[in-house]
Amino acid sequence: MPSLRELQHAVRLSLVEREDSVAASYIIDDGLAPERRLSVYRNTFASNLANALRLSYPAVRRLVGDEFFEGAATIFMHERPPVSAYLDEYGAEFAEFLVHFPSAASLVYLADVARLEWAVNRALHAPDAEPLDVTRLAALEQSDHDRVSFVPHPSVSLLSADCPIDAIWRAVLAQDEMALAAIDLAAGPVWLLVQRLATGVEVARVDEGPWRFAAELFAGRPLGTTLSSAGNLDAPSLLAEHIAAGRFIAFSLDDAAAHVAAPAQENRS
Amino acid sequence: MTPQSAGWKTRSSIPAEAGIGLRFQHHQAVLDTRPEVAWLEVHTENYMGGGTPLRYLDAIRRDYPISLHGIGLSLGSAEGIDLSHLERIRRVIERFEPGLVSEHLSWSIVANTYLGDLLPLPMTDEAMDVVCRHVDQTQAFLQRRILIENPSTYLRFAHSTIPEWEFLAAVAQRTGCSILCDVNNIFVSACNHGWDASAYLAALPAPAIGEIHLAGHAVRQLDNGKVLRIDDHASRVPAPVWALYVEALARFGPVSTLIEWDTDIPPLEVLLAEATQAAIHLERIEKRQVHAVGEAHAVAA
Repeated sequence: MPSLRELQHAVRLSLVEREDSVAASYIIDDGLAPERRLSVYRNTFASNLANALRLSYPAVRRLVGDEFFEGAATIFMHERPPVSAYLDEYGAEFAEFLVHFPSAASLVYLADVARLEWAVNRALHAPDAEPLDVTRLAALEQSDHDRVSFVPHPSVSLLSADCPIDAIWRAVLAQDEMALAAIDLAAGPVWLLVQRLATGVEVARVDEGPWRFAAELFAGRPLGTTLSSAGNLDAPSLLAEHIAAGRFIAFSLDDAAAHVAAPAQENRS
Repeated sequence: MTPQSAGWKTRSSIPAEAGIGLRFQHHQAVLDTRPEVAWLEVHTENYMGGGTPLRYLDAIRRDYPISLHGIGLSLGSAEGIDLSHLERIRRVIERFEPGLVSEHLSWSIVANTYLGDLLPLPMTDEAMDVVCRHVDQTQAFLQRRILIENPSTYLRFAHSTIPEWEFLAAVAQRTGCSILCDVNNIFVSACNHGWDASAYLAALPAPAIGEIHLAGHAVRQLDNGKVLRIDDHASRVPAPVWALYVEALARFGPVSTLIEWDTDIPPLEVLLAEATQAAIHLERIEKRQVHAVGEAHAVAA
């Protein structure tokens, strides 16, 4: 008689790795083979996960067609099943999987479109967070400005690609054949910023310099370092734009512990 | 009832009337048309992120009592429940203040893998201990009573020793949780395993029944001549399930009843028509009960 843990490991083997023998040995036949009973659950496993991937990767699906997509999704879900029941977070590694998926090699931009779709998906489902209160920033001493590190809004991300994946993504989702045909794959790299706005998810193109500046800021590098490496950019304007667009939700002062503690103690006394 | 439950919020804002499952497709229609339906139930997992779905539910919540139905807590996992998932559930509860919070008598997670379905448990003392421990843990963490739903099942384990109805009743008795009686699931499992659906209903403790689910299911004709019923929530409630529902109401009295539909979701009107059907049965049972109380008084006089 298997323990509950043994039984559950056996069912995982059956559903994920299609190895039925152990689980089947625990199941009553009653007119229908245990393997066929298990397959009812495996079908639900597959259709629920395929559905989660279809929702997150609609453009990839259109680019490769239903049959190819289902095939890739099936291999992916058996190799990398979800770790939690919160399926909005499932499928982050699908782009990475497509890079190494032999039959996807002919569409050189497929994995990059998948990366963009994942950024869009993350933006859609990211938790709500209040944008940074600028009065808190304004209240800082001038001498502290260099030590400010920003926390980006969880819906914001940056990505770049060697060809215009944003144009491909839009044209595919709009099923706009003319636009798709007009895309020049050799047009050079694109630098993208993805963010959830009240109206939906925005995928915006930015220039390389401002993109690299934003990447530093979003990575939480202190403002002093970021500004000094900004070169000819109008860094203050770029920073003001990020703040106004609600792309930060908080900041901390580098080496802040001593600084923050001091006023708190004053309040207590 | 466990003494621990004394401080929990037990008052349900979900009336003993008919409600419908609310899916994203109908967010806008519900806001625009404000349909006459007593309450709405959503899947907890669909509101764990941020953005548009939450704003819709915030708005809808102002006009309708909301119930939360979870599919991912995996109360039957031998290796324990996912505490980060429990915390996500807590945050959804905090935001939407649901009248009812439910999960399933099943498991979905092992070895950090989510298996994407409500999997059947062996009906053993060990599994009962595991489920009760996790229901206790969940109720203590959420500081409220939860409901546990009976699943549809397509297989049975040879080493099971406890009938499912007894298992469910015992979990309710030991943990003080309520039972979400899914009448369609009882019908499906009873057909698949040759159980007596009426006897199943009769074995459940009436005071513990906090909610009823109704849905449609698929009838799969297998090549060996056998029929397997599959709970796909993709059609209207079929006649034999309505009949079993009437039986359930006669046993349990009027209970909050939900129409579930998750695959090939129809226009809102179809769901509302199904809910109206349930409401008619609920009214009948209420009238009969009032009548019965009247008769009892007459006898006493």
